Amino acid sequence: MEQELRKEARKLLEEGKVDYIIGFAPGSLKFSTTPLITEEKEEIASLVINSFVVNNLAKFLTEVPGRIGIVAKGCDSRSIVSLIQDNRIARENVIIIGVPCSGLIDIVKVEKLVGKDRDEIDDIALQGEKVAVTVGGGKTELPTKEALFDNCLSCEFPTPQEYDILIGEPINATCNRELGQEKMKELEGMTPERRWEFWKHQFSRCIMCYACRQVCPACFCEQCFVEETEPQWVLPVPKWQDNLIFQVIRNIHVAGRCTDCGECERVCPVNIPLRSLTKKMYGLVNEMLNYKAGTDKNAPPLMTAYEHEEAKDLIR
Amino acid sequence: MSVTDICHRKKFLAQGNIYLPHIVVIDKIVEETPSVRTFHFNFKDEKLRKRFTFESGQFAELSIFGVGEATFCISSSPTRNGHLECAINRVGLVTNALHRLGVGAEIGFRGPYGNTFPLELMQGKNLVFIGGGIGLAPLRSIIWNVLDNRDKYGKIDIIYGARSPADLCFKYELASWSQDKSVNLVTTVDKGDKNWTGKEGFVPTVLEQIAPSAKNAVAIVCGPPIMIRFTFPVLEKLGFIPEQMITTLEKRMKCGIGKCGRCNIGNLYVCRDGPVFTYAQIRNFISDEY
Amino acid sequence: MTTKKISKKDIGKLLEGWSRELTVFVPSKDKGVTEMAKWDGKDTGFLEWYRNTVIPAKSSFLPAMEKMFSFQKNNDGYHLELSPDQQKRIVFGIRPCDARAMVIIDKVFTDSYEDPYYVSKRKNTVLIGLSCTNPYDSCFCTSLGVKPAESADVDLMFTDIEDEFLIEEITDKGKELLAAASVVKKATKADDAKAKTEKAAVSAMVIRKLDIEDISEKLQACFTDKDYWEKVAAKCVSCGVCTLLCPTCYCFDICDELSKKQGTRYRSWDSCGFSIYTQMPMENPREAKWRRVRQKVCHKYEFYPMNSEVIACTGCGRCIRLCPVNWDITQILASVPAEQPAKK
Repeated sequence: MEQELRKEARKLLEEGKVDYIIGFAPGSLKFSTTPLITEEKEEIASLVINSFVVNNLAKFLTEVPGRIGIVAKGCDSRSIVSLIQDNRIARENVIIIGVPCSGLIDIVKVEKLVGKDRDEIDDIALQGEKVAVTVGGGKTELPTKEALFDNCLSCEFPTPQEYDILIGEPINATCNRELGQEKMKELEGMTPERRWEFWKHQFSRCIMCYACRQVCPACFCEQCFVEETEPQWVLPVPKWQDNLIFQVIRNIHVAGRCTDCGECERVCPVNIPLRSLTKKMYGLVNEMLNYKAGTDKNAPPLMTAYEHEEAKDLIR
Repeated sequence: MSVTDICHRKKFLAQGNIYLPHIVVIDKIVEETPSVRTFHFNFKDEKLRKRFTFESGQFAELSIFGVGEATFCISSSPTRNGHLECAINRVGLVTNALHRLGVGAEIGFRGPYGNTFPLELMQGKNLVFIGGGIGLAPLRSIIWNVLDNRDKYGKIDIIYGARSPADLCFKYELASWSQDKSVNLVTTVDKGDKNWTGKEGFVPTVLEQIAPSAKNAVAIVCGPPIMIRFTFPVLEKLGFIPEQMITTLEKRMKCGIGKCGRCNIGNLYVCRDGPVFTYAQIRNFISDEY
Repeated sequence: MTTKKISKKDIGKLLEGWSRELTVFVPSKDKGVTEMAKWDGKDTGFLEWYRNTVIPAKSSFLPAMEKMFSFQKNNDGYHLELSPDQQKRIVFGIRPCDARAMVIIDKVFTDSYEDPYYVSKRKNTVLIGLSCTNPYDSCFCTSLGVKPAESADVDLMFTDIEDEFLIEEITDKGKELLAAASVVKKATKADDAKAKTEKAAVSAMVIRKLDIEDISEKLQACFTDKDYWEKVAAKCVSCGVCTLLCPTCYCFDICDELSKKQGTRYRSWDSCGFSIYTQMPMENPREAKWRRVRQKVCHKYEFYPMNSEVIACTGCGRCIRLCPVNWDITQILASVPAEQPAKK
């Protein structure tokens, strides 16, 4: 699959169809990949596809100029479609190299299950229903269900919905929608007071690094509301109240654009379970407005259009 | 010009804490332009009022408690004591809050910070002051300082410009300097109105027309970054060497004392190593970082 | 210097003895992220899992959020009140990289004007260093003159020698603290030798290397090379992770909080990676991302050494481990062009 990807990407550059290729290259740490943004044909040889291609590359589409060939997993392609809906990028300026994805390995989960940090693990290999983890010569096998990211477990669109080139064979969504829901069920089972305490505790350790906002393709505002001073919505001081407000408002702002890719939670350096919030918002958007982000590039963005009948329910 | 030792200024620290402001009271407010007001204020503490002194070029951090703190150069001259003056352009959170205050309001004052105009270097020389817009504020301090000791300096040229006649700051000073026979004042605006009789044109262009001599001269420039960037090449054309060109820079500041890290230009901090610099000091970074 | 030692099983007793008079901070996971937090009085499990904290030790001296003073408006005007932190503390378990970082940023907070909050915390804290036994693959401290298992930047240095710790008294402050501890014994020559081997062994475990020879000059030469810096900055997302969690980064923001007629002035961590960091009313000199990335790299490896002769980096590797896009400073610095690029 990697060979095919490199061939296609190289062809796009050689034929002058794109100015830049955005894809994944091997990272400098074990089991890591890093975004590759290049206009050089020679660098295409380092493009990879594996179980660790975590980044949502759609983020870079609003920054990199010109025509772009972008490698997109199922969730990424929805972010790209969402950006097209919002007129942030033009469809004709993007050539989507779709890569069907059977799920990415959550290295944090693997670390917990084998009791070792990633730099102490020799190898992690996804082998169908099992993930083989090798530590110091000894091999452990974990059920794949326990090693994938939560959002991969309940993935509805493993094959990109929108693409120009497809690498490999399409994958059908066979994932059980009930998987990866433990955290959500726990939160929904709490009383409002208990839930408030839970989030207060979580947001007490937020340091306002804004990694969650910066990696999110749906957060494309040139000036974020937290940067406004007149009026000032939140102080730049990481008090738990302001941290919580920031995240809640961010979720509201990206409602209908968030594809639940999970990047926000992955990048949080202090392990705040942000996806519990995004997933809830995603669910609400689906329930209330029957809308899933990034599935129809011709649909108007969620919050900019409504049907007459809806007005009676929504606007009170 | 070397980095000035600023340790001796600790004598004005409130309770020995570098972040704690003194309380000052607004005495008078002068409307300069639609968006600029000059605030005259004085320390609430009588003893401090008598003791306090500063040198031209230095700045202060004014606090509106509950809103924030911002940096302003002290535009009154140390030769004219009795009160302090800062010219404030209404552009953001703190400055808008300041403009809403009236006479008698209390604000916080931390200072004086930064280095000073090199008066010793300037003595006996011809001085060319070049200002744009509210950039006249720090220049005003040094101009009065110089005029109050007129015989120590040579020829004085002041070239000052603004976007329009309404945007000219310190109009009363301009009137006073234009009456002063020992000063050659040239005012210009980018675009005049029907009553305007002065020059029209950008400050660097007018500077080139006036063409002051670089012989035994020092040029002192202050204005918006873009004006400064275009003025230096003109001065070089007129024969000024980088060590003869002095400017005072402005960057976003918070602590004002070289600790919070944000006002750097290369390895120099505008609040600690500046705001007064020679072109020679900042030449490597000015086109790229300012 | 005579060395002492303590059995690992007695660490709890040692900390307990100290905690009667001082507040003891140890590596902790309780808040959901690893950081130096107040010891709960009994758990010494951190000796098992601790490699290095995510939140660096600078948070004990320059907290993420700190009250500077409070103000109140009465009928006769404003009254300001300070609440300096005078708590006497021990930070137990700081790694040599983080300890060196404190020494590096001390200069900022004592130079010209003394920062009262930082300095009083430093004066009132005893730093007890703990040698690494298991450096990460992202650590590169040895390239920056830091040794993972030894440190002279702390008051007491504990070196792991299997079931025991060898203790070196580095400063008088440390010596005084240790004097009353009864669980501490004299070390033997064999213990000293064991520690020496251990120190060398751990240093050899740091595999990531960085060549910093002439790095300041090299960066000066390519400062205006826009193409190079744009390439370097391409995948950076401009979050604040690398800077906020860097032990040698010290930038802070100051802001006021108001509630009716009273409020507080806070200072909090800030980052040169944020686009509003240098925002001015009319313009922003670092609006372009590549300028901010250049500022971060050049400040640490060029400007800081120009001002204080020491590179503002200790190779702790947090920036590499935690970066959302795996932007790696060691790779970047290795790619800095050796000569001035040809003028176009």
